[in-house]
Amino acid sequence: MNTLSKRTLPTLVAMLALLARIAVAAPPAPLKLPDFDALAAKAAQSVNITLDSNLLGLAAGFLDSSKPEDAAAKELVAGLRGVYVRSYTFDKDFVYAAADLDAVRKQLSAPGWQRLVGVHSGKEHANVDIYVSIEQGRANGLTIISSEPRQFTIVNIVGSIDLQKLHRLEGKFGIPKLQLEENK
Amino acid sequence: MSNDLEDSLRAALRPVDPGEKFTAGVMARIADESRRTMRAPRPHTTALRWTSVALAVSLVIGILVARELQLRRTQRGLEARAELLQALKLTGEKLDIAYRVVNDEEHAEFTKDSGV
Repeated sequence: MNTLSKRTLPTLVAMLALLARIAVAAPPAPLKLPDFDALAAKAAQSVNITLDSNLLGLAAGFLDSSKPEDAAAKELVAGLRGVYVRSYTFDKDFVYAAADLDAVRKQLSAPGWQRLVGVHSGKEHANVDIYVSIEQGRANGLTIISSEPRQFTIVNIVGSIDLQKLHRLEGKFGIPKLQLEENK
Repeated sequence: MSNDLEDSLRAALRPVDPGEKFTAGVMARIADESRRTMRAPRPHTTALRWTSVALAVSLVIGILVARELQLRRTQRGLEARAELLQALKLTGEKLDIAYRVVNDEEHAEFTKDSGV
């Protein structure tokens, strides 16, 4: 691990811990995600996932605790109230406009939401913004907006996000190993 | 005296052939009674029978409906599970991009804005 990541990753974790102590007004959750019907028609592949608390509970009932991936997901889902994903992949570059995401970004400018980190990858032409919402001193929401030339994705997770549980998901579902143990 | 009474009794109780008419009449009445019983069952027996049939049909329908609901619930649960895992996978992919950008100082421009 290089110097930058050694400095920044503990900082990110520290920021999350700090944000978790800040009590501010609760944001409207879940986010009102646009339909994106027009974009869905143009997309080569689209993912539209809406899992409210009932469906999350139902899904959790079908997770096999003997499988590491399922067990980790089950533990994470326990504190969640909703998972909403909109993801569209296109055959050509920039079929969608940045304005398509504005309605979502506008909601994230409301009190309670904090932009945790925003990254721009010149190599991959990818922008990823990560937002967290805080209620009564606890993180109660996570939103990721990722825009790439041929894909944009919005992930809105509502509910208590336990970083330790997220940490335990490292290496599963493609979640990178954050090496928190080494940084303690 | 005693012998007279005895004779009278013996005479009164002697076996007498009732004749073919009597036998035919008895047999006809038996047959008629059987037909009547078969044609017109007693009302409470009919109601009981229909109630039993209705209960049996209701039970079968109930079992089928419960089975169908369970199948639908299972199907929806498996779909929800697949969606949940897909959502977590997508989340992981996007977090991975952010991680790689943070981790790759040569190819990335990293901005950090916690708003705090």
